[in-house]
Amino acid sequence: MNNTQNKSKAALTLSSFFSDADILINQAETDRDALIRKMLEHLAERNKLVDIDNYFQAVIERENYSDTVISPGIALPHARIDNIKKPYIGVATSLQGVAFADDKPPVHLILLVLIPSNQPGLYLQIIRSMANILRDRETPKKLAGMASAEEVMRFFDRGGLVLPSYVCAADIMDRSFEALRNNDNLKTAIDALIAKNLSEMPVLDSEGDFVGVVSVNSLLKVCLPEYLLWMHDLSPIINFEPFAEVLRNEQSSSLSDILIEDAPVVQMSAPAISVAGEFAHRNCSVCYVLDGNKLVGVIDLPLFLSKIFRE
Amino acid sequence: MHSEPVVKTSPSQIFLKVSAMIAIITLAGWGARAAGLAPDMRSVVAVCTFIGVICTTLFFWTHRVAAAFLGVAILIGTRAMTLQGMLRATELDIIFFLIGMMIIVGALKDLGVLTWIIQSIINKKNMTGKSFVVILCGLSAVLASVVDEVSSIVVVLALVFQVCDTLKIRAMPFVLIAVLCTNIGSAATMLGNPVGIFIGNKGGFTFGQFLSGATPIAFVALIATTGILLAWFRKPIKEMTEKMQEHRKDNRGLGPIVRVPYKRGLFVLIATVCIIAFHHQIESLLGLKGVENKNAFLIVTPLIIAGLLMARNPQRARHYVEHDVEWWTLLFFMLLFAISGSLSEQGVTANLADRLSSIVTGGPDAMVPFVIGISSIGSAFVDNIVFVAAFAPVIQALVERAADYSILWWALLFGACFGGNITAVGSTANIVALGMLEKRAHAHIPFFEWLKIGALVGLVTALIAWGMLTIMPVPHPAITHEASQSQRQVTKAPDQPATCCPQP
Repeated sequence: MNNTQNKSKAALTLSSFFSDADILINQAETDRDALIRKMLEHLAERNKLVDIDNYFQAVIERENYSDTVISPGIALPHARIDNIKKPYIGVATSLQGVAFADDKPPVHLILLVLIPSNQPGLYLQIIRSMANILRDRETPKKLAGMASAEEVMRFFDRGGLVLPSYVCAADIMDRSFEALRNNDNLKTAIDALIAKNLSEMPVLDSEGDFVGVVSVNSLLKVCLPEYLLWMHDLSPIINFEPFAEVLRNEQSSSLSDILIEDAPVVQMSAPAISVAGEFAHRNCSVCYVLDGNKLVGVIDLPLFLSKIFRE
Repeated sequence: MHSEPVVKTSPSQIFLKVSAMIAIITLAGWGARAAGLAPDMRSVVAVCTFIGVICTTLFFWTHRVAAAFLGVAILIGTRAMTLQGMLRATELDIIFFLIGMMIIVGALKDLGVLTWIIQSIINKKNMTGKSFVVILCGLSAVLASVVDEVSSIVVVLALVFQVCDTLKIRAMPFVLIAVLCTNIGSAATMLGNPVGIFIGNKGGFTFGQFLSGATPIAFVALIATTGILLAWFRKPIKEMTEKMQEHRKDNRGLGPIVRVPYKRGLFVLIATVCIIAFHHQIESLLGLKGVENKNAFLIVTPLIIAGLLMARNPQRARHYVEHDVEWWTLLFFMLLFAISGSLSEQGVTANLADRLSSIVTGGPDAMVPFVIGISSIGSAFVDNIVFVAAFAPVIQALVERAADYSILWWALLFGACFGGNITAVGSTANIVALGMLEKRAHAHIPFFEWLKIGALVGLVTALIAWGMLTIMPVPHPAITHEASQSQRQVTKAPDQPATCCPQP
């Protein structure tokens, strides 16, 4: 029974959430809000949804929080809605494009997504299902040039855009991160931590393999070894003497002095819940995502919370 | 507090271990019955329960408290032990002593004296690998003899890790050196080991008597061990010397140089040891005489000092009690003492004493090597306090027959403490050290690597103990007979015969 359910979940396609009647072809609106309202009204009419004003408010609020342009030419405006039981998706195309963000080119393909509040990962699953579309930068313009809703629908049907059965670490990670090399010295690490205002940084070897993490805490532990911290009251040490040795040798000390090898890591295909597990069990605020031994992304606690609770 | 090292066991290993445990327990029960040590069902249950708890410490170390809880329940449920008997056998006096000492050690850490000791060694000029090891051996032994083996190993390993991490050398050989000398030093005084206070209290020794008997033997054993360790670990010691020289060339130290305020801590430490050392004189002065006041001030001194330290620093008092007292270990001790008490209550230990004295002819002198040997081997495979808790009632029963047998308390002390060096599970200090090494250096000491040097040190030190006990006059407790009379009375259960006179 469970297997059957899992299989059917795994086979869920993006196009199963809408039909050609939900697709608005070549819309004339160039204003973001006007187009979103039109798409919402269309969805409401087709699915007997009420409370359009609140939905509109929620979608615009989310859009104002941060734009939902997930790739050049494609936007996924969305909101989490309390009183709906299943997700609703409306699709619109625009030849001349709609401005969703000041610093990004106009979008030609818009998918409006209303998600039930009790399915926090669904939006991320939808984004992941669109990975094939996102890869080809010409897709949005190609879709905008299609003359009928049926043609657009066929594109989605043919594309085999399958929703993954769960949200994985790769769906929520930040692919841009700063890293240190394992042959860097302590001075480089301290400079980088201060300049980038970071509390920790990953360390990679020459092959790009993840070897550990250096953190402000591990640096403090070198300055203040365990046996100094046995004293609850450190006030007698008034001149930062423990830091003097580190300061004197920072250029000749290697990162191995402060390297934490046992850092919180997950593989990129691991369910996102295992990232939550790392945060909770290890009381840490950054989790590193690996593909084999290669570091491919970083998830910090604010990013995790924003992806799961707000996106 | 120290977390338990996590041991992953496969289902097939669990099955094998449980099967082995069942076989050993059954064999022990049957053997005790057949040998006449356990003449009735209740005494067989007492033997099987005790062996079951010992097997748990051997096969499922992390489950030892759970096993002890269940063991006590089985004994009371089967009427192999009365509830009153259990409460009497928990040795609360020893537990209170250990609680007091653990709080004092927590406060000493806070007062900076232990940090100062590490700092003083790190800042020592022109140190070589050899001089570091000699200092390490001496420090491990001396510290263990005054602040107990577990607190000592935590302090000494902080020093080892600081030096080895700074020099980027393997910490494992130095961890082994520290722990072997800690176990030897722990035999030197009553403060060194729960075994020491247990034997001292059971045997009726004063602190001074214990010191005059135990310290010279521990000292000679330490010198011999230091020599063995210097030769055994000559390669890592040479590597340490080279690294130290390189480090000095670069004008780098072994750690941060900090002026640590230590005088108040040192005063507390010296005052505690001095008051404990003169407990017998203070007891006489206060008129604390008789069996009921046996070693009263010895037990109370750590509580007084701990109380004063907590009164002086009320904000930290709760921290000392909650974090510096090893409640998990103490709970296990209490339950273990209770379970071994059931053997006395059922007369098993008295029967065993009878049997031993008939097997080992030649009196106390012949019994010394036998007790050292058996307690060394026993302590190698189960925590030494477990073995001492099992064997102490037997020696107590022998001493009741003839006061000369009190020399066996010393044989038991040295057998248990020195035998604790043979394997990694021989003493609590070994297990704490292994846990720290795993956590800090992600390293493990293979069983046979420990056994090779552990067995050598164990054998040499056991021989030293035997030799010195033979030639050196050791103190005999003055109140042993009185104490044993009292114990005989209190261990008599309402519906049971007296402990030393089991029903045929």
